[in-house]
Amino acid sequence: MASSRKITLRSSDGESFEVEEAVAVESQTIKHMIEDDCADNAIPLPNVTSKILAKVIEYCKKHVDASKAEDRVNDEDLKAWDAAFIKVDQVDQATLFDLILAANYLNIKSLLDLTCQTVADMIKGNLFPVRNEWLNFTFSIANRELVLVCLTEWVAHRRLFCS
Amino acid sequence: MEVELAMLRHFIGQLEELCELYGSPYHHHLPDTEPRPLLHQHLNRRWHSLDIDESSPEFCSPVMAAGKSRGIKSVDPCKLPPSKKSRKERNQGKSANNDKSAEVMEQEIWREFPEDLFEAVIARLPIATFFRFRAVCRKWNSLLCSQSFSQHCAQVQQDYPWFYTITHENVNSGVMYDPSLKKWHHPTISSLPANIIVLPVASAGGLVCFLDIGHRNFYVCNPLTQSSKELPARSIKVWSRIAVGMTLNGSSATGGYKIMWLGCKGEYEIYDSVKNAWLRPGTMPRNIKLPLSLNFRSQAVSIDDTLYFMRSDPEGIVSYNMVTGIWKQFIIPAPLHMTDHTLAECRGRIMLVGLLTKNAATCVCIWELQKMTLLWKEVDRMPNIWCLEFYGKHVRMTCLGNRGLLMLSLRSRQMNRLVTYDMSSKEWLKVPGCVVPRGRKRQWIACGSAFYPCLTAAA
Repeated sequence: MASSRKITLRSSDGESFEVEEAVAVESQTIKHMIEDDCADNAIPLPNVTSKILAKVIEYCKKHVDASKAEDRVNDEDLKAWDAAFIKVDQVDQATLFDLILAANYLNIKSLLDLTCQTVADMIKGNLFPVRNEWLNFTFSIANRELVLVCLTEWVAHRRLFCS
Repeated sequence: MEVELAMLRHFIGQLEELCELYGSPYHHHLPDTEPRPLLHQHLNRRWHSLDIDESSPEFCSPVMAAGKSRGIKSVDPCKLPPSKKSRKERNQGKSANNDKSAEVMEQEIWREFPEDLFEAVIARLPIATFFRFRAVCRKWNSLLCSQSFSQHCAQVQQDYPWFYTITHENVNSGVMYDPSLKKWHHPTISSLPANIIVLPVASAGGLVCFLDIGHRNFYVCNPLTQSSKELPARSIKVWSRIAVGMTLNGSSATGGYKIMWLGCKGEYEIYDSVKNAWLRPGTMPRNIKLPLSLNFRSQAVSIDDTLYFMRSDPEGIVSYNMVTGIWKQFIIPAPLHMTDHTLAECRGRIMLVGLLTKNAATCVCIWELQKMTLLWKEVDRMPNIWCLEFYGKHVRMTCLGNRGLLMLSLRSRQMNRLVTYDMSSKEWLKVPGCVVPRGRKRQWIACGSAFYPCLTAAA
């Protein structure tokens, strides 16, 4: 295509963002909307605020540019950019949360991968759980397991405990 | 005895209290800081720093340490449980196990996290996590059977393979090495038959293919779960040595897999997991020189749908494409003075690893195949300092994994070294010795195969 079409995306709080079609179709959801001809006017995204949409667009733009650059951006460089994008001082937990939901709703696989991996890394590095059934259950099981293990060790090495 | 019982009761009581306190999801505040027995207090703090990465023997270390030193060693002050304190206060205590300061997950934010996305997150946790919790938690087990979780797992790319190895000391069960945590895992339950010796020969999509030592029966199993299967008997009764290769039909094990065995006379068969049968799609074309003189010490390499087998006379490689059924022969002269060589694969490139012995000096070398010229080009060598250890000694090398990350066992009469080599980053690393739980003696690794761990691959 000679000139890429511009698509307008409207956030939940009414702000409009104009992006190139190539960037917009990074999102499978938007891609299907365009294919189904629902994109004559602005595409409304009622689940995404302007703050989050701005970040999503930033991410998609970088990834589209990276793949079509004359000298293809190195995989390593793109990974480094992703790491900087999602870093904890750039993206606080509330934003990360919203980004995941947005990436899921907009169906942007690479962003969903990046954000879910970030959460997995946070969980890995921080035992104290999230109020969530999975992790709390895990944690309480971990305690019981620890009790069992300690007891076994205690019984096996009880002389060491008697001071 | 009574004293011990009393102590035990007291100990259990303290631990139960702690379980109640921190097992509940609704506790936001720290318990009152009244004077508590010293042991309790330190146990308390140590638990806060428990990391999912830890393997079980280490849980006991604070308790053991406390006992041995006849006093309590001071433990790092750790993070307090999330509460309404300010973020700065929350982040002050550093977890003992992290080099960078770990963030506290704010409950107020994450309580709304949707269930279905949680599977996407869990699929990205380190595989070792599942070992810890699988045995005690039914909910994790049910996750393994879930379709959606399986899809998430298939999308997560593992950076490094694991290694399934057999030790000399215990040939009936395997030991696995996890290079990301540098830990050996000793699976307690083996799903493979216990009375015969099976050796890992190939792998694809998280599944490992085993052949019994008499070259008769094949088994396929996912070493991380209980999923295993004995393959039906081959139609050709060939009991001589065979080379084995394995490929996936699609991008993950759910699409099915194919296993091929190849004999020196050029006879071969392919097992199709979808049909659960062995097929003979054809015979070796005449341009391929027989007998094959296959290098049985080298495992086959699979790149996309093609298998590559190493042979001598003429030196080189024969390849077979599982989709088109086409055999090709490549004549590639072997580097001089090379022994104990194995084919390997890194990101679609065919590599060779072998021992180079000149005069009395031995070194491990890595070559890459130049596709244009069909020549091996040396790309790396083991650091000299390490090679000095083998000077003047007769060394044998076995390759225990040839995909992406190489694991090599170097043995002479007195010495047994295990190293890994990352073919992408060109990094040589030593592998910690494999010791059985509660043992001290280092095990000798006999053979092994690399596999990319996938929790949901089913045989």
